[in-house]
Amino acid sequence: MNVDEVKDCAGPREFSPKDDLPEEYRKAATRMLEFHANSEIMGAYLERPFIRKAPSIERKMAFSAKVQDEIGHGQMLYRAAESLGIKTREEMLDDLANGDGKFLNCFHYPMESYVETPMIAFFVDGAAMRRQATLKKSSWEPYAHAMDKICFEEGMHVKHGESILRELMNGSRREQRMTQEAFEEWWPRILQFFGPTDDQSTHHDFAAEVGLKTCTNDELRNAFLNTYIPKAKKYGLEMPDEPRIRDNGDGTYEVVEDDLDWDEFFTVSQNEYDGSIEQISGRRQAQEAVQWVRDMMDDQTTTNSGPQTQAAD
Amino acid sequence: MATTESDLGGPTDLSEKEQRAVEAQLLRLADDELIQAERYTFWQVRAPTLESDLSISNNAQDELGHARLWYDAVQQLGYSEESLIYESDPSDFQHSTLVELPFAEGDWADAIVRAYLYDVAEDIRLSALEDSSYEIIRNRTSRIQGEEGYHLEHAESWLDRMALDEEASERVQAAIDELYPYALTLFEPVGDVEADIDRLGIRTMTLDEMRTEWETRVESFLTELGFDVPTDAAPATPAGRDNEHTDHWHDLHEQMTSSYRNLGRDEATLIMADDDE
Repeated sequence: MNVDEVKDCAGPREFSPKDDLPEEYRKAATRMLEFHANSEIMGAYLERPFIRKAPSIERKMAFSAKVQDEIGHGQMLYRAAESLGIKTREEMLDDLANGDGKFLNCFHYPMESYVETPMIAFFVDGAAMRRQATLKKSSWEPYAHAMDKICFEEGMHVKHGESILRELMNGSRREQRMTQEAFEEWWPRILQFFGPTDDQSTHHDFAAEVGLKTCTNDELRNAFLNTYIPKAKKYGLEMPDEPRIRDNGDGTYEVVEDDLDWDEFFTVSQNEYDGSIEQISGRRQAQEAVQWVRDMMDDQTTTNSGPQTQAAD
Repeated sequence: MATTESDLGGPTDLSEKEQRAVEAQLLRLADDELIQAERYTFWQVRAPTLESDLSISNNAQDELGHARLWYDAVQQLGYSEESLIYESDPSDFQHSTLVELPFAEGDWADAIVRAYLYDVAEDIRLSALEDSSYEIIRNRTSRIQGEEGYHLEHAESWLDRMALDEEASERVQAAIDELYPYALTLFEPVGDVEADIDRLGIRTMTLDEMRTEWETRVESFLTELGFDVPTDAAPATPAGRDNEHTDHWHDLHEQMTSSYRNLGRDEATLIMADDDE
């Protein structure tokens, strides 16, 4: 198939590994999937300290399960990406470790306090849910298929985040104040989750034309704001004066782009922000420390010298 | 076992002496499982592969689930999660010092050896509790046993694999030498209450009997794989069971309770439905 044929046939779950697809399509799909998979891993990396710091056993269990789910999502998405034949999982994980792999803007910022956890688990995951639900109709079938399971689990994560937010906002005044401060700090980053407005986005056109993406950034941002501004208010959060968000009254919003720090956003997206460097190198260090285990497993696979019974994982 | 004759009944049926013995058995179960789980979670997003990350996360969550069941059983005797964990002093805990030792980054051999030594002990302990004279211990033991069998398989299959590799074997041997004396503390007594635990049938094996079985199993399995087992080692100090702990535990407890304190909480959140027996 050439690119024009792909554009003509593009529809939900239209293409699978048995189709002969042009490199341009396979590269674009790989880029999306790799970004998504990397984001799952780096999101998990950011949240992992709160498994320990969670203020009850049951919250601790929920944090541990959420972090585990995200590693499982990464695993599924890397598999869906590998099936495009452009990059292996190992190459993608190596790129993530050496700072070449890209991932969501929100996961470049440090998270210090428990009151910040719902900013990720409720708002960012809620925003991600919006995008992911539309990807169930992606033209790359393995991507759409992975989304079926991932969306279900993400729904649980958003409930977990909402439960934490509700508890904090029904807690002491001190908890409420700390949560409001965290919200004000995270809100601009959450708005930038959807990227710049459509006319500035570079990769959208092709991905939309071949059915990899089915919604624009603006549509997703509007859908998110429609649901989440009322929810934030319901829990007692006050919307910051800036960035200004104009309600058009017809279910759409305009975010005043000049109120957002796009220099920072592009620094983040190049992995050059302070937080990017810290998160990426922290994870790289952890991965290098267990390189000997992977070397052992590779060696045993190559020389067929591993245990004869089923392999450990 | 003729447990029915000497059955201790439920939480409200216990004499003071019986309650003291039941509590002592339950607290070490709860504390061991919680802190073992807490250390396992170190490996989440740090394990060698995505697959091993998922497996060790499963183990962590299983152990957390067991800790929750055991703390709940202690709470039925008039305690709270807050008083037992979040508002307690580190020296109130009675877990073995094996489970509180921190992992060095990358030391996957430590994670596997520790899991193995602990899981064998846990397997033996649960079989010594399956006919307990305290019904709640009996019932919860049978719920937990299925999952623990899987943990042991997981650790053993990693040891099988690492035994075949020279560098990994050296790391495993170093972990065995380091951890074996700490593992022995799993069988150390909690004060003078052990005789009552045995006499009342709360546990059907003494600590000495459990340790002997553990030593036999551990030595036989590890020797078979070509490792040396320091069988003449004495239990490490501090033992943990006697409420004496390493500084690592004080640091860990500080981190575990940090959000609870920073938020000024006075209640540990419950989000799951109650368990029926």
